[in-house]
Amino acid sequence: MDPILSDFETDFWRQAKSRQTWDEIIPGEPRATRPLTLTKELIAKFARAMGEDNPLYFDEEYAKNTPFGGIVAPPSIHILLMFACTASDDWMRSPGTINAGQSWFYNVPARPGDTISMVGRALDRFVRKGRLFVIHDNVFYNQNNEVVCSGRGWTIRPN
Amino acid sequence: MAEQQAAARESFSSIQVGQSIQGQPFSVSRESIQRFADGSLDYNPLHFDDEYMKNEFGKTRFGGVIMHGMQNFALITRTLTDWLLPQGGYHRRLETRWRKPVYPGDVITTHATVSDKFETEKSRWVTFDIEVKNQKGQAVATGQSMAEFPDKFPGRVGSPT
Repeated sequence: MDPILSDFETDFWRQAKSRQTWDEIIPGEPRATRPLTLTKELIAKFARAMGEDNPLYFDEEYAKNTPFGGIVAPPSIHILLMFACTASDDWMRSPGTINAGQSWFYNVPARPGDTISMVGRALDRFVRKGRLFVIHDNVFYNQNNEVVCSGRGWTIRPN
Repeated sequence: MAEQQAAARESFSSIQVGQSIQGQPFSVSRESIQRFADGSLDYNPLHFDDEYMKNEFGKTRFGGVIMHGMQNFALITRTLTDWLLPQGGYHRRLETRWRKPVYPGDVITTHATVSDKFETEKSRWVTFDIEVKNQKGQAVATGQSMAEFPDKFPGRVGSPT
């Protein structure tokens, strides 16, 4: 294991008992978050792990001559931010959390040097066909309070 | 700027409804799952623990470790952005549902089809129907996407110093 953030707790069982269950999650209550500062190295490592090879994410000289004017993170960077910007006792890390689907809207790109903050919460929870669902919504902002992306996800919770 | 504007407008007018885009086939393995986990920090045991995966989840029994659903999402994104960027298109939205679990040994490929084109007062938009299929031709993920062909990309130009 070689987590992109070296201090990250990769054992999701360790704090399993302290995480909110479906019964305990309160829709509307903000999740505890922490900002993450992006670097060129982090963006390149993330992009590689996602299977990207577009030089826009790796090569500053190439990126300068695109409409972006410099390296940007792939839009999918929120996949990392969802875990990097939340606490280790966050319910998204509960073992057995099944992702049922997501929708994301992209505004300004995230760039190296940006400090990204997350505002997130559960929005709803319900039972359907014997499965425990939570809908969550999230917005990521850069240091200038510009929206980077906003999204919604459906998870099926362990019982 | 004028150049980018003209290029985006020209690309937009040449895109045809029904046109299809195919991603590169992606081979799923325990190594690819590990690489995705290291890059995304999603270390859920669903993706690693064979013993754990013998359990029943809700009403589903997977029977073995599964790929991260968001790997589909990342592959779809990559297929779209690599197609859009040279044409001056900006990836604006992606909505997905996971239809079937993906297992190590599967090979999955993104298929996108232009479903509509429209102009608003301020910009030009293209929508796509998305399917990720496995080697048996089964849809493992489906969704919709939207791209903009703007006169200028959103946000500032260049990296912060």
